[in-house]
Amino acid sequence: MQRMKNTEHEIVEMVYAAKTDTAAADLLIQKYLGFIRAEMVKAVRRPQNGYEDEESIAMFAFYEAILNYEKGRGAFLSYAARAIRSRLIDYYRKEWRHRNLISLDEPFAGEEEDASRKDTLADGRDEYLDYVNREAGQKEIREFEEKLREFGLCFSDVADNCPKQKRTLEACARVLEYARENPQILDQLLRSGRLPIGELAAGTGTDRKTMERHRKYLVAILLAFTNGYEIIRGHLCQMDPGREA
Amino acid sequence: MKYLVLETHPAYAILLDQTGRFVKAANRHYQVGETVQNVLELRDVPGKSHIRLYRRLSSGLAAAAACFCLVYFGYYRPNFTAYGTVRMQINPDVEMTISKTEKVLDLEGLNEDGRNLVSDYEYQGKDREQASEELIQLAMEMGYLTEGGTVAFTLDSEDSGWLQAEEEKTLEQMEERFGETIVIQIGPMAEEEPIRAEEEVEVVIPLPTQTETPTPAETAAPTPVWTAPPATPEPVYPPETDDDDDDDGDDDREDDNDDWEDDGPEEDDD
Repeated sequence: MQRMKNTEHEIVEMVYAAKTDTAAADLLIQKYLGFIRAEMVKAVRRPQNGYEDEESIAMFAFYEAILNYEKGRGAFLSYAARAIRSRLIDYYRKEWRHRNLISLDEPFAGEEEDASRKDTLADGRDEYLDYVNREAGQKEIREFEEKLREFGLCFSDVADNCPKQKRTLEACARVLEYARENPQILDQLLRSGRLPIGELAAGTGTDRKTMERHRKYLVAILLAFTNGYEIIRGHLCQMDPGREA
Repeated sequence: MKYLVLETHPAYAILLDQTGRFVKAANRHYQVGETVQNVLELRDVPGKSHIRLYRRLSSGLAAAAACFCLVYFGYYRPNFTAYGTVRMQINPDVEMTISKTEKVLDLEGLNEDGRNLVSDYEYQGKDREQASEELIQLAMEMGYLTEGGTVAFTLDSEDSGWLQAEEEKTLEQMEERFGETIVIQIGPMAEEEPIRAEEEVEVVIPLPTQTETPTPAETAAPTPVWTAPPATPEPVYPPETDDDDDDDGDDDREDDNDDWEDDGPEEDDD
């Protein structure tokens, strides 16, 4: 495998491009897959299922490093190597006890996830259902993605714009609840292609600035409750406005 | 918590949780439309990494260092570093070493009575005022000091401003405490011996005739005016005669010759 060695400057440039460009990020990760695997092998203990899980984590850690890296942090690859190692160590700490319980015949009533794993693998019928569900979900998700594109959005944008604080998330849930109770708002959204922040602020008492800051997210979540996205809506069964009594 | 897989990439996936959060997470062989559980979400805050930890540690260290300096320079040094001495003379002669904040750091007797006085005295933790007071009282108890007696304080320090202030305080404090029965003075007691042995004063009476005495040092005195030599350690020598090297039998001292150079110790060529 021929490895093209880039200068630190070139690498940093690529990293910064990858921060905002999804395709560039994928390419960069692909380019450094060898590096990622090498770092993974350094950090890995007894692999049980081959390196599958570890590889996912290592690649994810590299992606995280791309997003979090800043110029003052030393060489990017060193930074990324540390990130990979750190994530794998965390993974082992969390997963190690579960890994030892992989034996399917042992009854583990308390372990919820082992129970589901047993079920999934032992029952072929469930597998088929899963497949069907997945296919339906895929179709719907693709349509939803298309709708977002009409509004100039993609899932990545929405994920980046998603509120991190519980408080803010609950405020957005309140906005959604208000929009669901007042469907003309959703219609207005679809027609105008814009979020009616004024009305929402007036109707929910939510701060305009908060809504502006999370505009992309709010558009996505409101759109999910316009027609056609049953599976997604069904999935969102725990949206809690967190209203104070 | 269940997550709906919305989008997958080789290194990550975008998921939707049941509370409406869209998150990026590790792609553990997910497929779009699948519902998954154990996810590894993206660590949210950029900057929350080892570097931040190092920065926290180093700023913590800096804070600790600053605290240490504060304590050391602000408390320890002024309280525990010798800053001056206080000598107390009655008959016993004692000297205490004190810090800038007047804490007594050391106490010693300078003569036998002094050593006697301080031998059982605990000075730790006391300041100048208290130690002085207590030592005076002790001296009275031990019979060294009686009514009408004198206690002389001599203070010394590199810091003359501080020194002066301490002298004033000592005087004021001791007088207030003992002034009615004891004389307090600042400055050492008058000496018994009139002349100290250090200073050697040579009184030399010059003679008008030539004397051939070696002159190891130069004190250029061109005018033949002989005065009684001052009581200084510098030796004074009899007048030089014809010690220059010419043969005119004349010493040139009377010449008002400013260019006359000193060449070093002159040799006696007689």
